[in-house]
Parts: sequence; C-alpha cells; structure tokens
Amino acid sequence: MYGKGLLEGMAVTLKNFFKKNVTEMYPEEKPRLSERFHGSFVLTADKCIACGICSNACPNMVIKIGSERDENKKRFLTSYEMDIQYCLFCGLCVESCPTDAINFNKEFELACYSRQGVVLNMWKRPENINSSNEG
Amino acid sequence: MCKDMTTKEHTLKTQEFTLNIGPQHPSTHGVFRLVLTLDGETITKAESVVGYLHRGIEKLAEARTYTQVITYTDRMDYLSAMLTNLGYVQTVEKLIEIKVPERAEYIRIIMAELQRMASHMVAIGSYVQDVGITGTSIFMYNLIDREKILDLFEMVSGSRLTYSYMRIGGVADDLPLEFIPALEKFLDEVPASIEQYWALSSKNEIFQSRLRGVGVISAEDAINYGFSGPNLRGSGVDYDLRKAEPYGIYDRFDFNVPVLENGDSLDRFLCRGAELEQSIKIIRQAIKDLPEGEVIAKMPKVIKPPKGEVYHQIESSRGILGYYIVSDGSSKPYRMHVRRPSFINLIPMDEMLVGLKLADAITVLGSIDIVLGEVDG
Amino acid sequence: MNNIFLTIADMLRSLFLGFGLSEYVVELVMAAIYASVVFALIGLLVLILVLAERKISGYIQLRPGPNRVGPHGIFQLIADMLKMLGKESITPAAVDKWPFVLAPILMFVPTMLLYAVIPFGEGMVAADLNLGVFYFIAIGSLTTLPLFMAGWSSSNKYSLIGGMRAVAQMVSYELPLIFSILGVIMIAGSMRMNDIVLAQSGMWFVILQPIAFLVFFISALAELNRAPFDLPEGETELTAGVFTEYTPMRFALFQMAEYGNVFIMSGLMVTLFLGGWQAPFGLTFIPSYIWFFAKVFMMIFVIMWVRWTFPRIRVDKLMDFGWKFLLPVSLVNIFVTGIGIYLFQNF
Repeated sequence: MYGKGLLEGMAVTLKNFFKKNVTEMYPEEKPRLSERFHGSFVLTADKCIACGICSNACPNMVIKIGSERDENKKRFLTSYEMDIQYCLFCGLCVESCPTDAINFNKEFELACYSRQGVVLNMWKRPENINSSNEG
Repeated sequence: MCKDMTTKEHTLKTQEFTLNIGPQHPSTHGVFRLVLTLDGETITKAESVVGYLHRGIEKLAEARTYTQVITYTDRMDYLSAMLTNLGYVQTVEKLIEIKVPERAEYIRIIMAELQRMASHMVAIGSYVQDVGITGTSIFMYNLIDREKILDLFEMVSGSRLTYSYMRIGGVADDLPLEFIPALEKFLDEVPASIEQYWALSSKNEIFQSRLRGVGVISAEDAINYGFSGPNLRGSGVDYDLRKAEPYGIYDRFDFNVPVLENGDSLDRFLCRGAELEQSIKIIRQAIKDLPEGEVIAKMPKVIKPPKGEVYHQIESSRGILGYYIVSDGSSKPYRMHVRRPSFINLIPMDEMLVGLKLADAITVLGSIDIVLGEVDG
Repeated sequence: MNNIFLTIADMLRSLFLGFGLSEYVVELVMAAIYASVVFALIGLLVLILVLAERKISGYIQLRPGPNRVGPHGIFQLIADMLKMLGKESITPAAVDKWPFVLAPILMFVPTMLLYAVIPFGEGMVAADLNLGVFYFIAIGSLTTLPLFMAGWSSSNKYSLIGGMRAVAQMVSYELPLIFSILGVIMIAGSMRMNDIVLAQSGMWFVILQPIAFLVFFISALAELNRAPFDLPEGETELTAGVFTEYTPMRFALFQMAEYGNVFIMSGLMVTLFLGGWQAPFGLTFIPSYIWFFAKVFMMIFVIMWVRWTFPRIRVDKLMDFGWKFLLPVSLVNIFVTGIGIYLFQNF
C-alpha cells in the first residue's frame, strides 16, 4: 500500500508521545559527572615543585609560573596564574605533572560578567609558603 | 502557441536572479556560503564560497610539539574527534616506527567505532531536519542516543566533544571499571532505537520522493573527483580503507561494507544507516577479545622523530582522512598537511547542482555530510 | 446544561427589550455581542493552540516543552506577547509600503469572518446562512492573496520565492477541497451547516465518504500551510520564507491568523464529516458544545501529530500530487456518490 511508511512513522511518534521525557531540569537537577571530568582546576601548592613542566606542556601558554630559589638552591613557587579564556581543557598539564599537584575538579559553571574579574584565574600564593591553596 | 510552451524561449520575459544562501542559514551545517543563480526555481549556476571558519591549524601545528598537536586535531572535525586523533597518532607512529600494545589497539578500535556511530547519528538527524524542519523529531531521538555515547566517552576521557584521548604510542588512560558494563548496556538498547529512525526517514514516502534521483554522481565521476567515504560507496564503488588497506588491527574483525548502486542522495543516506549496524558488530567483537596489558608504549618525554616524511590515511566517518607530516628531527613538525575529506567532497557540488530545484540544493549539501571545521581547517 | 448559552442569549434579549428598544436595534446589539464573543474566543483559542503545539511537539520529541512560566507553561504565550509588544517594529526602506502593512491585517480578517457560520453547539450559530458551506469556501480562499502581498512587497528574494510558492500551492489545492465537499452536500441535500449536522443523525459522513474525508484532510493541510506542505514558510530553505521581513507584532498577527484558521478548518471538518455537535452513541447528557470542542481538539491533535512526523514535499511534486492525484480522486468520488444516491433512492 502506498502510504505504509507514512503510517509507520506516525505510529512511532505516537508511541513516543506517551513516553516519559528525558530532560534534566538544569538548575534544580545537576548533571552527574564522571570521575575524570575536565572541569576547572585546583592546585595543591604543597606538592608543587615549580618545575614548569605543566607550563611547557600547555598548547596555548595558559599557565604562567613564578618561582624563586631559596638558600638551598631549591625552587619554590611564588605565583601560579592560569588564563582560562585560552584554555582548551585538554588535560596535558594534569597528565604531565610529576607530583600530581594540579588536578581537575567538577566545576563547570565558569561563566562570569567581566574579563578582569573572574575569567583570568589567578592563584597567588601568600608570602608564607606553608599554606595550601585551592582554586 | 503550444510549441512556445515547450521550448526554452518563453513568450513572457523572464529574468534570472542571484540568491545568496549566506553564511548564516539554518541548514548549511556551519558557516558556508552558496551563491546560486536561479531561473524560477531551477538552478542554472552554483558557486560555493568557503573559508569563513579558517583557523590556520596546519600553520599552528608547526609551532607545537607532537603531543600538543593532538589537541588541535580534535578541533578540525569536531563531530568525529576520536577518528581525527587516531589518524594523526598513527601517522606519527609510522614515522617513529613504534609498536602499539595490544590492549591499546583494541581500545582504539572501540573508541573509533563508537565515534563513527555518533557522527553518523548527527548526520542522519540533521539531514532529516534540513529536508523539513518538522522532521526534528528524528533528530531528537538521534541526539538522545548520541548522549549515551558521549556519556561513555566522558567516563573514559573526561570530555564530551574534543577528547584528545589518543596519544603517540597508545591511549592516554586505561578504561575505568564501569565502562565495559555501561558499553554493553548501551549496545543492547541501541538497535531498537535505530529501528525507530527508519520508520521516520527512509521508509517515509515523502522523504524518499525528496531524495530519490537527486544529486546523482556516477561511479566514474566519483573516483575522478576524489569522493570518499559513504558518498563513494553510495555510487557503487566498493572501497573502504578498513578492508582495502587495513590499518591498526582492522584485519582481525569480521564486518561487511554496505555498497549501494544508484549514486543519489538516498543511497548515501542509506549507506550511513547501514554502517551504524556494522559498527555495533565490530564493537562487540572488540569487547570479547580485549586483552590485558599496557595502554601506552614506552615513549620518551620529548618525542623527536627521525628526519623524513610520511603519509598515512584512515577511513574517517566522512571519508578518507590523510595526514602528511614532514619532520626535520626536532620536537616540532616541520610541516603538517591534512587531506580533509569534507573539503574534497565539496568540490563536485557546483556541478551536481546545475539543473536541480532550489530545495534540492539543501538536499544535496546535506547528503554529502560536511563539517565546516574540516572544510576550512 | 445543554442550553446554557441559549438561555443567556434569551435573557439578554429580553433585558434589552425591557429597556424599550425596538426589535431591530435589539437584533443589532445581539449581533454585536455575538461578534465580540467570537473575538474573545479567537483570542483564547490562539493562546491554547500555540501552547498546545509547543507541548505536543515537545512530548513527541521526548522533552517537556515550555514548563517554566506558570505550571506546565500555561502563561508562556502571554510572556511571548509581552516580549513582542516591546520590540521595535522595523519597516525596511525598500518595501512597498501599503501591501507590506496591510498583509497581516488582511490575513486576519477572513479568519474572523469564518467563525460566523460554524455551529458550535445546538442552535449556537452566529449567522445561520442558507449558503453556509459556500460562504466558507469563498471567504476561506481569500487567504492566498495576503501571503502573496507579503512575499512581493518585502523586496527580499527569499520572500518572493515563498510568495510564489504560496500562490501555486494554495490555488492548486482549492479544487480538491471543494470537490471533496460536494459529495457531502449531495448526500445532505443542503448547504446550510445546521442541516448538514442534522443529516448525520443516523451515521456520520466519515463512514459514508471516507475517501472524501482523506482528500479534504490533505487539501486542508495544504490550505493551512502546515507541514508537510509548509513551503511558503520553508524554514530550512528560505529562512523564514514569506515572513522574513516581518517584525514581531505583525508576525504575531500572521501566527494568530494561522492558528485561527487551523481551528476553524478543523471545525468545518468536524461539522461536515464527524457529526458536528451531535453526541455519538446517544450520550446526550454531555452538552453539545463540549462534544464539538472535544472533536475539534481531537482533529487538531491529529493535524499537529502529522506535522511533527513528516518532512516537507518539494514544489513540483506538490503540484503533481494535487493536480494529477487528488483532483481525479475527488471527481471519481462525486460520480460514485451520485450513483450511490440514485441506487439508494430507487431500491
């Protein structure tokens, strides 16, 4: 019969009309993210040895590290700045860190209202080097 | 009087006019411009203008190390990122001549075939939506299934669209424990969903009448123009790189390659649909044979291939994707060129469109299945 | 309960007569009241139909549709209207001014005129003309011209193509529409809407004339510019087709006219083929107007269901289908009906 395909299509849409919808109502229900989700960044400054490998691994030169040598000629970290507007969220920095100091967290709501205020994420460590810093 | 009606010379004075299907349009899949010269509703001349999304990826690659370039190859064909990654890493591995561990090869096959399914789902859904906006229902069903695939990818790599999951010598991370059960659950549910698509698209008589006989390209023309992928197999040429020149471990899998005869838009569409089922078959075989072991070969921190050049091609979801890399011994490629399938598949379109109606222009453009990130690079 | 509206009308009439006005003036006032009731009805119906379209399309596509503004999104259209009223109404410099401005208004006026002849319930017709069906078809075919005016005056190539397609489509599908109704008129023996409804007391005409019903349904979809025949507003080919240059408030008038047309064409379908306001199976305890609206909303659901399932037909296939298939089928239907009536009357 000529119109058979049309009627089959209509049967499919009618069946789906009565099914429950699959929408996640966003602000009320947050999405379930996996363990390895690439969200925003968190730096555990205690573990960071200021080697600069993450900065070299980044394709877009997002990470800027400031470091100094102390009296034993050992490097320590003074400032760690990430310019998120250019970040690809590729994860090469996280993967290449030898001490597991920089990691992803699950925060994905990164929009903000001004370029200076929040977009350029800065982690500036305070002058005492014994406190650990979170993003 | 009767004779005048059937010849080209009308007794009424008519005029051709130019219509610009501009960069902003609901159904050019991205920023693509098509300038048509129309006589009534019939196209007499077509000219496509590309370049609105050019980002200079090939030039940027000359200033990045080999591992960093992987993140840029994702962004070219963003709807099949795993496949573009795969082409690149296999090219560099061919240059370095390194062997990838077995487990990594199987994982790569699973990811590649899942990505092919996701890409074809978007192609099918958005195409039916182009043919008539109210065919959006099928696009929604496609996207629901594609969401499940993207959730699987997020479990493995952490991202949903641009994964950068492949590495030179293997893959970035091993599969988490919940991946294989989730994948098997997905493979059990998806064939019933795929059946639903056909009731709304290829079995629908209106859809068939829109596509049958539109945009025909013969097998000989297809080969001459360099068509590839499902476009070529819809014209009757049985050439799939996974069978003709197997790369990776594709020669160990048992699957069919769908080939259709007529060379019109409907056959290209049906070819993509049939490939969905073949991908499911391949993934099931890969899960069964997945061995244990390492997921990445022993590679130095900084990759410096020997001097030389290499070309390698794979069968991406849109056609044959090829990479040509020239290395001068340093840690950054000297030159990288990508043979992008969407760009080459667009070339015969200007000739295919002459003589068709305006509505057919959209039909033909959708059936070639381009992604503008890949066309412009 | 059945006669509640008639009772109200009688009360109002006696009230006005009590003021000492003459019969003639009272009839005029009653007609004005009927007209304003019809306007209010159209406004309310458009609100319901636009929301229904979005919710139905959402449920078919496994998503909820509008659900933020009010429970289940019932105030969504009011929010949209407020937004549209706040937008700047731009008239491009190169348009042909008078057709451009008049087109939305001219599209809306025939819709309003059509509501006068449909019987919404037992005895509830605003104007019970002898030639009800004829009036309907005549006024209904006026919707072609405003679309063409909009397309031509917009001085935009997309609109021009849309306008040409609109004329081609709507003119081609007028004929099957009319011929499919002729069978019904032959059986009922009259063109007055109430007579046709009463003639279906025994059996609804959809059973006696199934082919005519299908032809009428398809032609009605083409007349209403609904998918799969929405070529004048071919959204994926011509961005917004005929309506490309229209800014919100005028576009809103077009949309109101379209949904008003959907309702009234379904109303005609129900009146001619599905028994009008009569209750099936003798369930007369439910009032007649509730039956009418229930049947009309059922037909509207079918129209929307068809819309969200099928893609669009190409222009030349559309013309082929209308002239080479629907028109002969409807002519054959008339012959068969005529022969059937002759045999029925003589045996």
